[in-house]
Amino acid sequence: MQVQVRLFATYREIVGAGQLAWTLRDGTTVGQLVEAVLAKYPRLVGHGNHMLLAVNHEVVRPESVLREGDEVALLPPVSGGAR
Amino acid sequence: MIEIQRARIDVEAVVDSARRDDAGAIVVFLGSVRSDPEVQALDYEVYKPMALRTLAELVERAKAKFGVLEMSIVHRVGRVPVGGDSVVLACAAAHRSEAFAACSWAMDEVKRIVPIWKTEAGPRKPRSRRR
Repeated sequence: MQVQVRLFATYREIVGAGQLAWTLRDGTTVGQLVEAVLAKYPRLVGHGNHMLLAVNHEVVRPESVLREGDEVALLPPVSGGAR
Repeated sequence: MIEIQRARIDVEAVVDSARRDDAGAIVVFLGSVRSDPEVQALDYEVYKPMALRTLAELVERAKAKFGVLEMSIVHRVGRVPVGGDSVVLACAAAHRSEAFAACSWAMDEVKRIVPIWKTEAGPRKPRSRRR
C-alpha cells in the first residue's frame, strides 16, 4: 500500500521535500513508518523524540496501523516558550 | 470565524464576527511581530487542514470550559513584517472576567497545539523561532 508523508518546517528543510510517497507492507504502524523515514534520512534522528505524529489531520499514537492512502504528518514541536 | 490567510488581517472584521447581543464583553488579542536586531520579518508555515481542525476544536473547548459565547481566530501565514499582526483572536462572553480568561487560555493553546511554525527572516540566515 502507499501513503503520503508530509513534512514541515525543520523536517522539510532536512529532507528537502514537503511530501513523500511511501510504499509499505499492509499492517505497518505509524511508528514503523517513522523508523523507516529516519533510516533513510538520518539527519532527522535527533528530532525523533520530539516529533508529533498525525494521520489524516488527527494526532495519533505510534502503534496506530496505517491504511492505503493515509496522509501521515511528521510535525516538529509547535509549543512556544516565549510569550 | 476561523481563518488562515496570507493577507493582512482586518481586525475590525474579526471583532465584528464575534459580536453577539448577549455578550457584554469582547476581549481582543493581537499577536504582532516584534522587532529584533536580526529580524526583519517572520515566515509562517502551516499544515492548513490540521490547523483549521485544531482551531475549530479549540473554540468548542473554550465555549465548554469558560462559557464563551463566540470566539474568532485568524492567523496569517507566509511573510509577516515587523509590526504586522500574525494572529488576531476575539472572544465574546457575557462578562469580561470569562472573556479575559478564555482569551488568555486560547492563545496559550494556539501556541501549544496548532501546527504553525515560524522562521525568522533577517539579514542573517533563517533560523526557527518559538512562537
